[in-house]
Amino acid sequence: MTQRASFLRRLLSNRSFTIGASLVGLVLLLALLAGVIAPFDPLKGNFRARMMAPSLQHWMGTDQFGRDILSRVLHGARISLQIGFMVAIITALAGVLIGASSGYFRRLDGPLMRLMDAFMAFPSIILAIAVSSVLGASVINVIFALAIAATPHTARIVRASVMVVREMEFVEAARALGAGHARILFRHIMANAMAPLMVRITYVFAVAILNEAVLSFIGVGPPPPAPTFGAIIANGRDFIVAAPWITVAPGLAILVSVLGLNLLGDGLRDVLDPRMSVNTR
Amino acid sequence: MKKTYLTLAMSALLVLTGAGPAHAQKKGGDVVIGMTAAPPSLDPHATSAQVARNVNLHIFETLYARDEGARPVPDLAEGVTISTDGLTYLFKLRTGVKFHNGKDMTSADVVASLERYRKSGASASLIGAIDSVSASGPNQVTIKLKTVQSTFLGNLSSPRAPIAIMPSEEAAKDMGKASSIGTGPYKFVEYKPDSHIKITRFDGYKPNPAYKERDGFAGAKIAYIDNVTFRFMPETSARDAAVETGQIQLNETTDGPTAKRLRGNANFQVIPVLPFAAMILKFNMAQGAGTDLNFRRAVAQALDLEEIMAVAYPDIYRIDTSWVYGGSAYHSARKTPKQDLAAAKATLAKSGYKGEKLTFIVHNDRPTVDTATVIQQQVSQIGVNLEVKVADWPTTSNLGLKSDTGWNLWTHGFGIEPYEGPASAMAHWVKGQGQRKADPVIDGLFDKFNSEMNVDVQKKLFVDFENQMNDQAIAVNMGNYGLFQVATSKLKNFKAYRIPRMWGVWLD
Amino acid sequence: MGRFIIRRLLASIPVLFLVSLITFGLLWLVPGDPASIFLDASATAEALDRVRHELGLDRPFLVRMGEWYIRLLQGDLGTSLLLNRSVTEAILERLPITLSLTAMAFVVSVLLGVTAGVMAAVRHGRAADQSLMSLALLGLSIPEFWLGLVLVWLVAVLVPIFPAGDYVAFAKDPLQWARHLALPTFTLACIQMGFVARMTRSSMLEVLSQDFVRTARAKGLPEPYVVLRHGLVNAMVPIVTVMGIMVGALLGGAVVTEQVFSIPGLGRLIIGAVLSRDFPVIQGGLLFLALIYLSVNLAVDILYAVIDPRVRLG
Repeated sequence: MTQRASFLRRLLSNRSFTIGASLVGLVLLLALLAGVIAPFDPLKGNFRARMMAPSLQHWMGTDQFGRDILSRVLHGARISLQIGFMVAIITALAGVLIGASSGYFRRLDGPLMRLMDAFMAFPSIILAIAVSSVLGASVINVIFALAIAATPHTARIVRASVMVVREMEFVEAARALGAGHARILFRHIMANAMAPLMVRITYVFAVAILNEAVLSFIGVGPPPPAPTFGAIIANGRDFIVAAPWITVAPGLAILVSVLGLNLLGDGLRDVLDPRMSVNTR
Repeated sequence: MKKTYLTLAMSALLVLTGAGPAHAQKKGGDVVIGMTAAPPSLDPHATSAQVARNVNLHIFETLYARDEGARPVPDLAEGVTISTDGLTYLFKLRTGVKFHNGKDMTSADVVASLERYRKSGASASLIGAIDSVSASGPNQVTIKLKTVQSTFLGNLSSPRAPIAIMPSEEAAKDMGKASSIGTGPYKFVEYKPDSHIKITRFDGYKPNPAYKERDGFAGAKIAYIDNVTFRFMPETSARDAAVETGQIQLNETTDGPTAKRLRGNANFQVIPVLPFAAMILKFNMAQGAGTDLNFRRAVAQALDLEEIMAVAYPDIYRIDTSWVYGGSAYHSARKTPKQDLAAAKATLAKSGYKGEKLTFIVHNDRPTVDTATVIQQQVSQIGVNLEVKVADWPTTSNLGLKSDTGWNLWTHGFGIEPYEGPASAMAHWVKGQGQRKADPVIDGLFDKFNSEMNVDVQKKLFVDFENQMNDQAIAVNMGNYGLFQVATSKLKNFKAYRIPRMWGVWLD
Repeated sequence: MGRFIIRRLLASIPVLFLVSLITFGLLWLVPGDPASIFLDASATAEALDRVRHELGLDRPFLVRMGEWYIRLLQGDLGTSLLLNRSVTEAILERLPITLSLTAMAFVVSVLLGVTAGVMAAVRHGRAADQSLMSLALLGLSIPEFWLGLVLVWLVAVLVPIFPAGDYVAFAKDPLQWARHLALPTFTLACIQMGFVARMTRSSMLEVLSQDFVRTARAKGLPEPYVVLRHGLVNAMVPIVTVMGIMVGALLGGAVVTEQVFSIPGLGRLIIGAVLSRDFPVIQGGLLFLALIYLSVNLAVDILYAVIDPRVRLG
């Protein structure tokens, strides 16, 4: 069996991965089909149906505008997943750029890592809040703020892999054969860093969804009427005592999405590199 | 025998109808109040924030203060004699008034406090008409005005950033550095930032003998409670839970649905406070779409005020588009505008608006953001494209108060001005302050109002102002809103006002 | 050993300097200032300018920045613009509160997490293992502040067992201190518990499969003794390394938890300062947080170096 086929086989027989992938797949599907399956317009309020508890008509109840929570959660999945995905991609690119340069070119290592340490000295959420306050509240700015918060740790992971491989014999051999830096970096070294990077990125995705919710909670998240998970919770938190369903539903949605992503990441790690340490937020 | 039965029956009747000693005020006890934020300063001259007033007006008093009907009445002064030309005010001060440090209040303290406020008080412009202040006797202060100002006593008694009377030694200190030493019924104990402020009853306090009961910010302020602690609890859910579990005795601000839960509960009293503020939608008339009268009119016509207020302030709103609150002598019942989408579309077509995206700024307070969300939705129905920009108060107010660019619409609450009276309500629109472009009609009406002593003429001037605001769609007054206060049933005789007054109340 | 510590200490200084530069950069860019907190919506532009002048905010940015560094070298972090006390005072008042919360959460998550991890490792592959690890993963995936809000609703309002917020000093009333911290601690610890449990389990599994453990078993030593004395002690090493990150995560989580439960700690101080633009507190507070974080990491590194001599020489 080819290496790729055997890799896929191991992946699919890993329980974590399959359950995680199913959950994420489910959420993704619901998010993509939100426009079709959502029973109501998530942005349109119904004056007569304000603050109604879950019922047959509104499975998850309504908020103070009379908007259907289920519809908002479904559409919110789309935006929250988009945010998470974009944060993951940008973090991956920035992390690779910084981490690879740092790990490969010794002279860049010192200053770059000091800079990364400085960013990591802030609890990531405070950094995100500060950046969001500066840039202003919008979906794009939230993505940048969260990416900035997640990049240093990612860069470190890439750097670690690059440094391990840098010293290996086949790299020396390649260089002896006349290969340029860029070629060595991409063909040989990055291939080794791919595994931990991929695992790290699934966690970044998950944490981004969680952190977007926190930013909305503090008040520096995406502006209304965007129904991100965090925005729906933030919107209902004044009414937690009188109308708890507004907050409970989106929280559960976050839970399911993040759980799925975590399981996915676990599965990937089990298959790719079981010796890798479990990541944290 | 018959007489005994009669006496017995009479006593029984008395006991049953509670016609015995009616006001069984009990002295003692501690009250903890849950407040939304911490005051930015405990120097009463330095800030006009509501939360600062809540605390400072227990510690400090003013020469004149507003009564229950928002009329200026004597507080630390006994009375005033105004010269016939209206330019000289002779205040006779009360005697025997002590500061919390034991010192007697004299005219020197009053003059020092007034001069300090004139120089660097937060709302110094309120008394900008003053030409000179002098002590014309140990218990007499003379104020000379530059021009006649019919609203001078009103301004002097403004609770906004109160012109509190402090000892002259404190008044000599820089703004923000004065210690909390006043003449009020409570004195300052401690302030733990981010946690609480504690005040305790000042036993050397002598209530104003001219009054029998409390009356707004004036009257006889009798303190029965021993200690009052103001806890800063910005999280609504924490405040709601705290009053239910007895951690605090008064939740200063909560919303309708939460308050509704406790309505039937004998352990709590739910106190609706309405009106507390008015919700305003302002246009930037200096640049962009806001310069166009038809655009502004179209937006105003597209609004359904009932929907906006019901979503933002459930159960605690009233559609009233007068620029002062009901109960004021200057209040008039104005026609409630109804949403008219067809007319709005037609008006919009007459304007120069081409469907471009406009910036609608709001600060991140849930009801305000909800207001903006509903407005955005409503005007989208006539083709107006609004982008809501939520930011914290420093960012939003900085933009809206100082910049002609970067915003087109702004919505926020207007609390103390409609309460203070017509001059305060008008002042915000004078010289283009609120709308970024001066309106000569409004400026003219304001000047005339200030120099007009006849109340009937004043009323007519005010109606002219309200009409001008409406016709030119300078801003939209969307209605009054309020808040709910929840207290333990043990707190007796509590009556809501602009601050949670802790005098005249007791625990039982 | 001493040289190792000194080397690490010196390496922290440029990092702290960078932290302060980053903070200044953010403050330079952020719009608005605290003047508007003093005034309400009826303020005039002149009033705003007057307050700004009183606060000394109309001076050039570089001048204010220079002044801050000079004062810093004298050990003075400046005075808060809104809290009427020095920044150092404000931080020190709140430090014990955040520390109690973080420490309690740390202890709870380590105790419960390690116990769960050991149990799962010992019953590897069976039902207990599956369920414990599922719970751990669940804990990892919950949004903290949401959990806090839900707990406030459930346990403070519906079934009032614990108070919904606030803080009572230990010195004043130990029982109340514990009661008030119960919900926030649980909220904060929930996530870290899951993480510790998983870490412990994988670490234990690795150690328990090693030769020396088999030898111990073959020698006839009782199983609990093998698991704890040989297994756990060796498994703790990777956990120690990760403690530094845990503290960072707990500090970040504390920030949000303090908001939900109205606890007057460092987190609320800094968030409040960011939202009201109390510049001296933002600068001083963030520097202080960085200091804490770096100190904990240094402590962990020293601990690790003590346990594993290879690190010292590397």
